[in-house]
Parts: sequence; structure tokens; C-alpha cells
Amino acid sequence: MTVISEIEWDACLIEPRRDDEYERRYRQETGRPASGVRYVAGVPWLAEALIDWSVEIERRVVVDAELADLVGLVVSQDNSCRYCFATMRFFLIVLGVPDAKIRRLEEQLLSVDFSPEQRAALDFARRVSRSDPLPTPADLQTLRTHGYSDLEVAELVAVVGIHLFFNRLSTLIAMPPQPMESMTDRWYVRFVRPILALRLRNVRQYTKPVHLEPGESDGPYAHVIRGLDGLPLAGVLRRSVDEMLASTLLTRRCKLLVLAVIARAMGCQRSEDEATGLLSTDGLDRAEIDRILSHLSSPLLDPIEKLAIPFARETVWYQPMQIQRRGREVMETLSREQFLELVGVAAVGNVLCRASIAERTLA
Amino acid sequence: MTPVALALVAVVLALLAGAAVWIIRLERDRSRLRERLTGAASDLQNLQLAFSRFAPDEVIERVIANGLLDVGEKKEVSVLFADLVGFTALSESVEPTTLVGILNGYFERMSRVITEHRGHVSTFIGDGILALFGALAPNPWQANDAANAAIAMQAEMRDYNRALERDGLPKLEVGIGLHRGTGVAGLVGSHELKEFAFVGRTVNVAARVQDLTRSHDAEIIVTEALRVTLDPRFHTRELPAANVKGVADSISIHALEGAEAD
Repeated sequence: MTVISEIEWDACLIEPRRDDEYERRYRQETGRPASGVRYVAGVPWLAEALIDWSVEIERRVVVDAELADLVGLVVSQDNSCRYCFATMRFFLIVLGVPDAKIRRLEEQLLSVDFSPEQRAALDFARRVSRSDPLPTPADLQTLRTHGYSDLEVAELVAVVGIHLFFNRLSTLIAMPPQPMESMTDRWYVRFVRPILALRLRNVRQYTKPVHLEPGESDGPYAHVIRGLDGLPLAGVLRRSVDEMLASTLLTRRCKLLVLAVIARAMGCQRSEDEATGLLSTDGLDRAEIDRILSHLSSPLLDPIEKLAIPFARETVWYQPMQIQRRGREVMETLSREQFLELVGVAAVGNVLCRASIAERTLA
Repeated sequence: MTPVALALVAVVLALLAGAAVWIIRLERDRSRLRERLTGAASDLQNLQLAFSRFAPDEVIERVIANGLLDVGEKKEVSVLFADLVGFTALSESVEPTTLVGILNGYFERMSRVITEHRGHVSTFIGDGILALFGALAPNPWQANDAANAAIAMQAEMRDYNRALERDGLPKLEVGIGLHRGTGVAGLVGSHELKEFAFVGRTVNVAARVQDLTRSHDAEIIVTEALRVTLDPRFHTRELPAANVKGVADSISIHALEGAEAD
């Protein structure tokens, strides 16, 4: 029993809802059971993101798959995400990794029993994941001295980003981890394991570098997306950001303020400038933006923004139970779909700031 | 079967049995070691989790990886210093056990309020509390958090006093000083006892400003350095500039009298 399964975790904040179309696509494209999709049903861009980002968990360009799995475990453990940690663990077992080896991997997360190259990558993953403070070019240099190419560094950032997205999503809505935690002990798992493994192996694959289409390297947060060019996640992130901003469950202003607050909390000037620039273009006065970001309050904020802005700040660093209780309070005023959109924006916002270091890998 | 063959079979069987026993023992040792390793890793994780309440993650990791180090970093932090008014008189008028109970109740409630406002209690000094905002993790809203915490502490104090009154115990009064400034955060202390602390003039100024709550009949006093970064929705009243021990020039201070609701 690892300490992560003992972390306090609230009851799920969201009522699952069936959506046959998304569930079918999820199963087809990821090879995984689609129960998670039910928690985001009702917010189309988030359901699309869930499918797209899940595919990216398994798709690698240059980084070794085992290292990527380790990064996933490190990031999930570091973010205290019981759901993601249990999920990662289960799928590794399905893929044939012996339980004992996984336990050893869990233990090794704190030991020094890694190759210097693996250790450097895992330390970097933790730096990106924590971002207190944000990683610097010196962190990239450390990786380069261990032989990592710029594309490998960018992919490591992408792997951290993908797991951060799922950590935020799962933790902020308190996705129930218990079924996944007990899954490996169930008698029928050994019978369905070969089928699941076959489906997963079909999804888990190496791909050639995928470059952005002409229109994809412009638009909001282009600096982050260009930094990930060559990786399939770049296009996926472009689509998620555009669809997120186009969604009308929350106002565009509310979403941009959430992104700006997250950037301010993390000291990510580049992402803050991006969000405030868009807010300014949309007509919000610069002085007012400054006031909101300096104090998280303003008489101009509408009731939803007054809830969303302080909540956004909490999503950067948190204890699961605390943020889940806070989410429950916010949900009293927001509809299920509005709350889900807020969680999705916060998840993407956290990824955008942490992944902005990838821009430094560009020549 | 000849006696020689029998002897050979017996030797082989004995060797096999010996090897089996050796393998079983080896396996048992291995499993015992694995259990100990798992336990140690789990303990280490628990320890890391526990320590993260007292020092930044990065400091903890460096301590775990390299042993105790002279880790120090210059930081801008908001400091809250709270002290009970008339505690010496109180300590002479109640039984020691009762006094400890009253103090523990006070520390418990105040610590909870500070944590809820994203601060962390650095240390208890007698009946005083030194709390820091922005020391463990970057916090651009540290001044507002400290001010909100101070207001919430006074509200909590009133609630605690009602409970003390019901039990027939004397009421408490707390003065709070707030200041914002730079200092050095790091592991300080002797080889036997180290703690994560924030040292520098900022802490002294917060403590001195707290002293002034008595002479100015104010529950909370903030320095100008902190006030300029506060949300305009906080109500402050300017007080006469004060000379503070250890600071060459007089400093501008303000009584913090509340905040508009959101």
C-alpha cells in the first residue's frame, strides 16, 4: 500500500452521464474502458479533449515509452492524483509489466536507483510539474548535458503536460479512484487482460514527428504550441485551446481571466501577457485587468467570475481534499456544465504555463 | 542398486535438499528485505508529506537527497505576528493546566485560520505566533491573504472568547502586526535542531508593530509597505508614524479595520 492511496479524497462532485457516441469513440481510439467520458459529458470540447489527450498518453515520437510511463507516475504522485496514479498502475499491469516491478518503480520514485539520464529526466519532470518557481533555461541545459535532444526535451514537457491535464481534471472533480485502485485484485481481470493489452498495444505506438499545419502555429498561446511543434500534442493543444475559448458555457472573459490568474499565480509572464492581451483586445480596460490580477477582485466582475477567479488560483498548488471542498462550494452556484468547463479551463491553463518552457527549446 | 550408487543418490538428494533450503531462505530474506524497502519508502513518503507543511518541497528534496545543507534563499514575504494582550497577568491568575488548555485552544484555532488563508505558522514564541505568507511557495497575493487572515483571526478570537466565557474562564485579547519585506528563508539552527525559518528585519518590524496595537488601541496594525499592496476594499486608518527599534527612520503605520464583502 503506497501513501498515495491513503490521500484524503472527497466524493465525486460530478454526476456521470452517458454519451454513447463519445464513449464509443473513446473506446475505439484509446483502447480503454470509457467510463471516464461520462464525467465530462455535456461539455463537448472537454469530451473531445479527453479523447485526444488520452490518445497522446500512448503516442510517442522520440522519448522511450518506459521513461514516459515513469514520468506519468512521478507527475501523478507529485500531484497527489489518486485516480491517475491508480489508472497508470492498472494499465501498466495490463500491458504485462509485473506487479512487483511496478511496486519497485513506485519505490524508486524516491530512491536514487535510476540511470543518470533517467534521473535527470525525472527531476526535470518534477520541476515542470511543480513549477514553483517555473523551470529555467538552465534546467533545459541540464537535460542537454545528459544527451537529450531538443525534441526529446519538448516531448518530456509534453508528457508532463498530458499527465498534468488529467491530474487536474480528475482531482478537481474528485473522480472516484477506488474502482481503479481495486481493479487489479478482481478475479476477472486476468481473463480480460490479454484483450485489453491487445487493444492498448494497438494504440501505444511510435510516430514520426508531426508538424503543425500552417494555420495551427498562430492564434492564442502560439508560443507554447510552437514550442511543442513536431509532437502530435501541439495540434491537439491548438484544437483544445480554440474549442475551449469558443465554448459558450462560461463567457470568454471569464475563461481568459482564469487563464491570467493561473499565469500570475505561477509567475508565468508570457502566459499572463497572452491572456491579458486577449482580454484587452476584447475590450477590458488595462487598469481593470491589473486590479483584478493584483487583488482577484473588482466591482466589475460578474457573480460567476467572482467564484471562478479565486478558484482558478487554488488549482495551481493544492491538497486534493481542500480543492475538492472548494469545488463543491463553487458548484453550488454554477451548473454542472459550467463547473466542468471551469475545471477544464483550469486544467488547460495549468498545462499552458508549465509547458511554456518548451518554447525555449526552439532554436 | 550398488552401495556406491545409493551413496551417490543420497549425496545428490542431500545436495538438492540443501540447495532447496538455501533457495527458500534466500527467497525469505529477499521478501523480508523487499518488505523493509517498501516500508522505508512509505515512511519516507510520509515524512516528506509531513515536512512539506514546514518547508518548501525543494528544500525537503535537497535535504533528502544530500543530507542537511545550508539552504538559504532571499524572498519577499508578508509576516504576521500575533501576541496575546495581558497574558502574563492571566498566567498568574489561573491554574497551570487550565492555562495550557486555554493556550492550546488559542493556538489550534489561530493556526487553522492562518492555514486556511494560505499562510504557515513558522513558530510559536511563548504566547506569540509568527506566521509567514509567501515563504513556502510563491504567492503574488500574500498581503491580501495576510490581511484576510488577521481579520479572520480576530473574528475567531471573539468566537473563542464566547466559548471561554461559557466555561467561566477569562477572555483573551490578541494584537496583530503585519509587515511585508525581504529576508532570508532557509534551514537554520544547530546540528541537532534545524528549522525552516525566515530571518531578517521584516520579522522584527512585524513584531514591533504588533506591540503598537496596545498604545494605538487597534486590533491589527499594518505597515505602509504592506498596505500599498493591499486590495482597495480593505479599510485602513492612518496612524501617527512610529519609531521602531532597529529601524533608523520612523515608519508609516495604519490600523486595519475590516474589508468590504465581495
